[in-house]
Amino acid sequence: MTAAESIHQRSPAVLPGVDVLGYAGGRLSEVLWVAYRSLRKLSRNPFLLFFTLMMPIIWLGMFSQTFGTVFERAASSSGQAPLGYDYIAVLLPGIAVMSAIQSAAQSGFSMVSDIETGFMDKFLVAPISRSSVLVGKTLADGIRMAAQTGIVLAIAFLFTLLFGWRIPFASGLAGDAMIVLLTASFGVAFAGLSNSVALFTKNTESTMAVSFTLTFPLLFLSTAMLPAALLPSWLQTFSKFNPVSYVASAARSLILTGFNWTEIGQAFLAVAIIGVLLYSLAVLAFRRQGR
Amino acid sequence: MSAVTARSRFEEGVGIPSPTPMIAVEDLVKVYGGADGAGGAVRAVDGIRFHVDTGEFFGFLGPNGSGKTTTIKMLTTLLRPTSGRLSVAGYDVVKDAAKVRRILGYTGQSIGVDGDLTGRENLRLVGHLYHLPGNVVRDRVEELLGLLQLTEAADRPANTYSGGMRRRLDLGSGLVHHPSLLFLDEPTTGLDPQTRNAVWEYLRRVHREERTTIFLTTQYMEEADQLCERLAIMDHGRIVAEGTPRDLKAAIGSNLVTVRLPLDDGFTAARSRALGVVQSIPGVEDVVEFDQGVTMRAAHGGATLLEILQRLESAQIPVQEVAASSPTLDQVFLRHTGREMRVEEVQPPSRFAAGRERREGR
Repeated sequence: MTAAESIHQRSPAVLPGVDVLGYAGGRLSEVLWVAYRSLRKLSRNPFLLFFTLMMPIIWLGMFSQTFGTVFERAASSSGQAPLGYDYIAVLLPGIAVMSAIQSAAQSGFSMVSDIETGFMDKFLVAPISRSSVLVGKTLADGIRMAAQTGIVLAIAFLFTLLFGWRIPFASGLAGDAMIVLLTASFGVAFAGLSNSVALFTKNTESTMAVSFTLTFPLLFLSTAMLPAALLPSWLQTFSKFNPVSYVASAARSLILTGFNWTEIGQAFLAVAIIGVLLYSLAVLAFRRQGR
Repeated sequence: MSAVTARSRFEEGVGIPSPTPMIAVEDLVKVYGGADGAGGAVRAVDGIRFHVDTGEFFGFLGPNGSGKTTTIKMLTTLLRPTSGRLSVAGYDVVKDAAKVRRILGYTGQSIGVDGDLTGRENLRLVGHLYHLPGNVVRDRVEELLGLLQLTEAADRPANTYSGGMRRRLDLGSGLVHHPSLLFLDEPTTGLDPQTRNAVWEYLRRVHREERTTIFLTTQYMEEADQLCERLAIMDHGRIVAEGTPRDLKAAIGSNLVTVRLPLDDGFTAARSRALGVVQSIPGVEDVVEFDQGVTMRAAHGGATLLEILQRLESAQIPVQEVAASSPTLDQVFLRHTGREMRVEEVQPPSRFAAGRERREGR
């Protein structure tokens, strides 16, 4: 009953929040709350959380077995052998990029499920920016991608110490942090695609179909799995137009040789370009809702 | 009530001398599809006009597909109108959508609750999305949990809740920021009668104590009759009737009168005489025999009823009982739409079905 009495206290019809915090602060708080909600959801699904974080390790093991001998033969026949490192050192940054792409391709699913359950309406009737919803959701995905990359790097480092894997980790901890930043920001940028499709189609199957159809060609027609020197020449040309190649090459140099700022700069430029393109599309798709 | 109107208008800086209605709708049209010229365009809302006063409890009735949900989506900025004017608290809903969103609360037809979050987290999230300060959010959320009797379940994920609990939680999430205007799209569809009564009680309190203007759509005539001060009935995208429940019922203009006769040896003879007598009374229509006597529709007002009694008495027909019942909203609805109100129950969402539930949408 005491609760009933206190509902007489009524806040004014127009809330002061946005004015007090300032425009930028208000937007930031929206983004962070949307992201917090997504991460909370993830934490409530322990199976999903576990497999999301372990997926890159499984891939690393799988691909290193499948392609390892192929790589070593190719490397020796092209006169590069003996190398001071294992194929797994070449593969590790590729797997980091691959996990980010994979998570990015699934990013739109939560958008569709929010539309289907009606939770999206909660966001849309609230006095928040449409782009805050989009950015908040993909920020949460970015944090997840960063955790995936961080864990796979940490485990690879552990195996290097314990089992004598030959991975140089040439740029040290700072380089690992750069790889995490690079792959996560790439993943967030690429998530714009999956979210655009999700918002245009409002359908999980379409989102899945479009995202996966584009994901695998982008991944395998790039330098993510093998260095450019070992690719056929037409693929070398194609991979130059594939943003995935720039991110994978920059990350690979960080593992094998150290900081190469030209490559890192190119990678972030590629991320920025696809980010701007795909998020423009996604915001357009968001605005189209309710027409 | 007028004090509230004056204050909120003042705060919002809408300096119009005459009281601004909370909602004003003029010539509102929504056409779905048909943009490609292939035909098949649906005029879901076909030129409606109405207003809702500040502090009013307003009901919007109509069968599925009548355009109720489309209208509420346009008013809550979720859907753009094809043409026409809509204003909320003096703001244009399309141009000033951001301002309108700060004023309104909305509980939709599909349940906008995140099943992975606890009840408390669901409510807090909404509070933060409205940019309320942290301590205000905390206090308000505890208050709402108490009010909605969800305190005990507050730390359980919402997908463990029953249908009624989810509905209450969803209602709460529309109220966190003390909206001046609350939209409820079929808030009790799919609830058991007990929960329905609890929701009604709570809505009355919000209306009374917080002076919230409430706009409610429903398929339940009883709900509209119990709660709403004024109603509009919508059918095929148009408003076919508008008024207070009392006026709408009075406009039906007739009562149902039942005359029961003693079930003795003379019953059959008495019944046919009674039939002849009442049929000759002006204002009496649709006289029908049934197994205990006769029923008829009698023109509104006591005069006709008195006439019936006097004529039966002077014809020396023994009368066991006479009952007159007022018209119900069901009859009002039938009169204006030519259909019985048919309620299509929505299954209360289970934790597995929740994500699959499709919205009616149109």
